[in-house]
Amino acid sequence: MSSMVYLVSSLPSLTFGQVPPISIDEFNNHSRSQLSERQFNILDSIDIRKTENQKNGNQSVALLIEEVFHDISEIRSAKAQNRQPALIRVPNRVVSGNPLQREEQILKWQWEELDNIESGQTFTLTVILVYKLRLQILTRLNSFDKVKGAEVLASVVNPAKNKEEK
Amino acid sequence: MAGVKIKYTKTERARQKKILKVSERMLPLFEAMEKSLMATINTISERIEKIKEEIEKNEKAAEPWIAVMSDSWVNIDEFISVNKIITKSIDVAGVRVQQYEGVDFNVMVINEDTPLWVDDAIALMQEQLQLLAEIDCLKAQIDLLEEELLDVRARVKLFENRRIPNAKMAIRKIGQKLQDDERLTIATAKVVKTGKQEGARL
Repeated sequence: MSSMVYLVSSLPSLTFGQVPPISIDEFNNHSRSQLSERQFNILDSIDIRKTENQKNGNQSVALLIEEVFHDISEIRSAKAQNRQPALIRVPNRVVSGNPLQREEQILKWQWEELDNIESGQTFTLTVILVYKLRLQILTRLNSFDKVKGAEVLASVVNPAKNKEEK
Repeated sequence: MAGVKIKYTKTERARQKKILKVSERMLPLFEAMEKSLMATINTISERIEKIKEEIEKNEKAAEPWIAVMSDSWVNIDEFISVNKIITKSIDVAGVRVQQYEGVDFNVMVINEDTPLWVDDAIALMQEQLQLLAEIDCLKAQIDLLEEELLDVRARVKLFENRRIPNAKMAIRKIGQKLQDDERLTIATAKVVKTGKQEGARL
């Protein structure tokens, strides 16, 4: 318990939109030294990017991730079938706008959902799990870059021209 | 014409007249061909410009969300690649060229954990890759047409500057020579006749 208190207290606070104060690797290394092997395995298996292996950790977190992916699939199917998506968790307002706004809105909404999951908890594994997911959100949000994005597009669309310019 | 020996015969004059007739009939055909090639090249260049505008328009439309393409969760170039560019052979202004038909893409299956923006990015990339492939085909067409245009221009110049003037000059020279010969023959005959008459009188 004391190591959990230490770990939670030693982590820098996170705000949506900020540059991540620590990297995922730094967080993992720090957590590994403070958590038991079982706790760390749970933490290691949780990932906001995938649906598998989430059930071992927090049920609410697993459900959130699962339902977000379900809704993303539903949005895709609805678009292909030219109909309104029937979403179970993600609000409709979140999936409007251009692709960047949509991703940012989904991340913001996930952040707020994590607030609800975390509320009432102080020094529990759930707090650490939520911290990791938030760190993943911030890392992803911080990777959105106009110049790099344009480079990625050019590398796919015009690789020959790109090589010539280099 | 310089250095070319003319045979001052009626057969040669007839041959030169034939050359002139054929050349004067061929020249307008080559001139029409030249115009047609130039017009086709211009049309293709305009099409290239329009495609470039379309590419730029697509880039501008994607500008507000292009930042998402650097998403650390996704490696977008794994999702799409060009398998092959499909073309078919056609005749443009009498030249065999490859016409753009489409692009065959390798598109990776999108899973439920793939972010939504990937769909938009794939659609944009497909559109841009198709437009660029069409530009490549059109540029290749222009290369072939320009090659043909050079050839046709050389022929027009050959007819305009050499064949027709040379034939005309040869016809004129042969005509003059034949006329001179005829006059000389008549004059010689007259001299001979006069000589004979004077000889008879004496």
